[in-house]
Amino acid sequence: MRQILSIATTTVGEAIRRRVLLIILLIGVLFLVVAPGLGVLSARSETVVLRGMMLGIIQLTSAVIAIVLTVYMIPNEIERRTIYTILSKPVQRWQFLIGKYLGAVFSLGLMMALMTAVLVFVFWLQASDQSLAAVGAMVKAPTMYFVQMSLLAAVAIFFSTFVAPLVNFFLTGGMYLLGSLFNPFFQTLQENQGTHPVTKAFAGIVNTILPNFANYNVQNPIINPTQVIQNESRYYLEVTFYGLFYIGILLVAGILIFDRREV
Amino acid sequence: MRRNNKSNLIGVGVFFLLCAGLLQRLAIYPTWTRDYNKSRTQINTSLDPQQMMFALAGFREMLAGILWVRADAFFDTGNYDAILPIIRLVTLLDPQQIDVYATGMWHIGYNFTDEEQRSDRRYIPSALALGKEGCRQNPETYEMFFETGWMWYHKIDDDYPEAVKYFIEAQQRPDMIPARKNLLMMAYQRNFQIDDALNMGFKLYDDALKRVEEDGASGNKQNRDTLENNIDTMLVRMVQRGYVAEKAGRSTAKYDISPPFDVGFSAKVTVLEPMVLRVEGTWNVRPVGTRVRIVLRDKDYTVVDHGVTKNIGRPAGMDWDFSNDVNLDPPRDKTFMQDQLFVKNTRFNKKIDMSKDPPMYPFTSDKYLIEFYYNPRSAPPHIQDKFGWNGEGMTDKHFLNDKVRPGQKCIYYAMEVPRDAILLHGQYQDKHPVFKTPNYVETKQDYNQDQILLDIPSLRASGK
Amino acid sequence: MAAAIETKQLTKSYKSRAAGNINVVDNLDLHVEEGEIFGFLGPNGAGKTTTIKMLLGIIYPTSGEGFVLGKEIGDMAVHRLISYLPERPYYYEHMTGLELLKFYGSLFGIYDEAKYRALLEKVNLHRDMTKTISQYSKGMQQRVGLAQSLLNDPKLLFLDEPTGGLDPIAHREIRDLILSFRDEGRTVFISSHELSEVELICDRVAIINKGIIERQGKLTELLHGGRIEITVGGVDEAFLKGLNIPDSNIRGLPVGVLMDMPEEQDPNGIIDAVRNRKGTVISVVPRRKRLEDLFVETVTNPALGGKPSVPPAVAEEIVK
Repeated sequence: MRQILSIATTTVGEAIRRRVLLIILLIGVLFLVVAPGLGVLSARSETVVLRGMMLGIIQLTSAVIAIVLTVYMIPNEIERRTIYTILSKPVQRWQFLIGKYLGAVFSLGLMMALMTAVLVFVFWLQASDQSLAAVGAMVKAPTMYFVQMSLLAAVAIFFSTFVAPLVNFFLTGGMYLLGSLFNPFFQTLQENQGTHPVTKAFAGIVNTILPNFANYNVQNPIINPTQVIQNESRYYLEVTFYGLFYIGILLVAGILIFDRREV
Repeated sequence: MRRNNKSNLIGVGVFFLLCAGLLQRLAIYPTWTRDYNKSRTQINTSLDPQQMMFALAGFREMLAGILWVRADAFFDTGNYDAILPIIRLVTLLDPQQIDVYATGMWHIGYNFTDEEQRSDRRYIPSALALGKEGCRQNPETYEMFFETGWMWYHKIDDDYPEAVKYFIEAQQRPDMIPARKNLLMMAYQRNFQIDDALNMGFKLYDDALKRVEEDGASGNKQNRDTLENNIDTMLVRMVQRGYVAEKAGRSTAKYDISPPFDVGFSAKVTVLEPMVLRVEGTWNVRPVGTRVRIVLRDKDYTVVDHGVTKNIGRPAGMDWDFSNDVNLDPPRDKTFMQDQLFVKNTRFNKKIDMSKDPPMYPFTSDKYLIEFYYNPRSAPPHIQDKFGWNGEGMTDKHFLNDKVRPGQKCIYYAMEVPRDAILLHGQYQDKHPVFKTPNYVETKQDYNQDQILLDIPSLRASGK
Repeated sequence: MAAAIETKQLTKSYKSRAAGNINVVDNLDLHVEEGEIFGFLGPNGAGKTTTIKMLLGIIYPTSGEGFVLGKEIGDMAVHRLISYLPERPYYYEHMTGLELLKFYGSLFGIYDEAKYRALLEKVNLHRDMTKTISQYSKGMQQRVGLAQSLLNDPKLLFLDEPTGGLDPIAHREIRDLILSFRDEGRTVFISSHELSEVELICDRVAIINKGIIERQGKLTELLHGGRIEITVGGVDEAFLKGLNIPDSNIRGLPVGVLMDMPEEQDPNGIIDAVRNRKGTVISVVPRRKRLEDLFVETVTNPALGGKPSVPPAVAEEIVK
């Protein structure tokens, strides 16, 4: 465990100093700060637009950070040969992989926390409703995005055990897009009377076994608070567990591949 | 890694996959589709692939926000044509953005106008369709119901049962603003549901009293006073307009609506230039406030809806509610001009110039109708005090009509006009064709002199 | 003495589309004694690093077996007793020297600040331990690498090109450190192509070329076969020739006559004979066989490897 933690902490230390990530983060924060200037419509609409844009900015920035951060993590260790000094010590490969993954998740958490803090602050300054509940509701979305991005990082680290970073970048990005499309796509197929049953069954299988990122897009009711939703906390719990299970699957698969990998 | 470790790991992976899959299918997916993806499968056409990708990948609301901000720039420059598609996109992307629905509906319904500020009514079915979609997408909140009701009440100003229907829907939503509830009382009156209006008035008044008790804010007090005043006035009117007597089965002969007043309508339309009309006529009501509706439209106002050609035209209007599809492209080959003729000193005289707006008035058919329409339900109260809510106190020797709006007394006359006459083509070249009611009498009298006689009693306490 | 490293027919092959199976390491039989400095020599691409990686369990042999400190390779228990300094390593640049040791220490469960400081002092970095690695010179990075490799007090160190890319002063520092490891009783396995370094510090060497061990043995034995040069004055070439020394060469110099001969021949007899003829002995210089000669000889001699492995020009290039 101490090996995993050491590797994770070191990874965080490195990640928060990576210039490219800091630049992406800075752009995200900048957008968050200027976002209120873009909504100049009626008071309520402004809040709706503001919420939608700010949450979108956080999600988009986090996704880019998650991918860029994770796809280079293992290949960089190999390229710089640091992995040899680590693996020649009493460190198992699975410990290394999990340590790296946790480091990525911690780093993501830190960066997303920063963006969320900016979001809360800017929103609190701008919003007509400054109550704790209104501001607190805003934080729900980034929290779910964090689970989403952790899952995304797991996808990236899984791929990074056997493909090159550039390929991984597109693979993971593609998985994110695809995984976000599953739910709506599946829904369309289900509701469409003309869909062939085989297609439906296939879509059902795909929707069941591939990582589903759409589950974490919970922003709609937060942006439009008039919408009534049920059992919110249960849903959040379910998708969090879903994420944990899926991260588990990807890490197990990653470990199995990485264990035989010639580095 | 040892072999048994490896198979253990694979076992754990498979177990996780099973858990994740079950969770997804049994719990998450049903909730997500119910609560978090309200736009349903609407996103199908209007978006280009990148937008679609971006939208479906979870950035729907963000994209909607960006587009809406962009629309704002077009509002500033008055580029209304550019706004419509954006509004449509935004509502598709984030159907919970009620303001966009409301703004869009208002915009489609009111903002497309010709050079003389007449709005393009061919768009109204689209505006209503957008409103209806907004209601469907946001059934929890009153707003779209209220906005759609307002479109019927104020813009269409006809078919009052529709306005009543929507205001009732709005009333049933818990977030309805109290002051806006008063409008249902007004709509009931226009729909000649006098008892309902009064009951509503009392109910609102009770609520208003409660609110003042709970919170003596000036807004609450003001609303209470307004309601008190409205009920007061209404009670007086119910008596004066003979409603109470009629309900009680007594004679209404001694009330203000008796005997019915002959409005003495006549009209003449002269085509001055192509697409420029002079409309003159008589209306014997001296107090100001009379507006006679004039409509010039295709005799066969047909549209294609879901591949079916429908004639949606009807006297002095159309079937505004014919479609549920938000079609931003109105029937470009159809003409529907509607205007008000103001009566002053018992005459109306208006020049209607459509020549500057050929896209709005394409005149592609052969036959057109010029319709005159007056309905006392939308008359101002001081005139209604004589005519009654339902036209009991109004008559006309030639044009009183209770068919065009069943159950209501209206003044209605339609004249068929060939296109060539409006465009001064063919046989009408170099001529000024005239169309008039049979009873129209040419006169040289100058009606511009003020000779207003207050022969209709005022309801004000001072008697003025 | 027990073997620190023992391999039997250790082979690593890769599939290549152009050339089919390539044995990067081919039936390697390696034997390294405990407590010695073992030089693992070969030109670039000979399979040195691949061998080390296999011994460390970072990559897996295709066939054959290997034992490190008596345990089969890949055994995690061995990792507590060994350490590895890769070729031109890179360390997390945001860390200071001290933090780096803390990090690597924590991987062993060593949280001994005094030990970190002592190690940094040993590699002469104690004044720079609060600087970040990014501020370190190459030599300093190599030294901090050596410090981290000593964290677990290893019985066996693998050093891959430990002096690669360093200036002469840094060379010397590293060399002295490596010699001190032997004095502390550690086994050091050095992979290098810098022969002059290896010659100075190694007890035994193996020369690998194209994945095959060409020579292995004690340095003294491998370099056996040197010559002695005797320069004399006051006698002529014919006199020296008359001594009939086998395998000798004689030629005149401005100062006298030079004769070189195999080192097995006794120089004393020649010196006595010259003195008896009133000649003077100007110098007697033993010319040992150099590792460089051996290396070039090995990697260019088709007879040894059974095939010409590296063209002579390339081999010359390598030894420079």
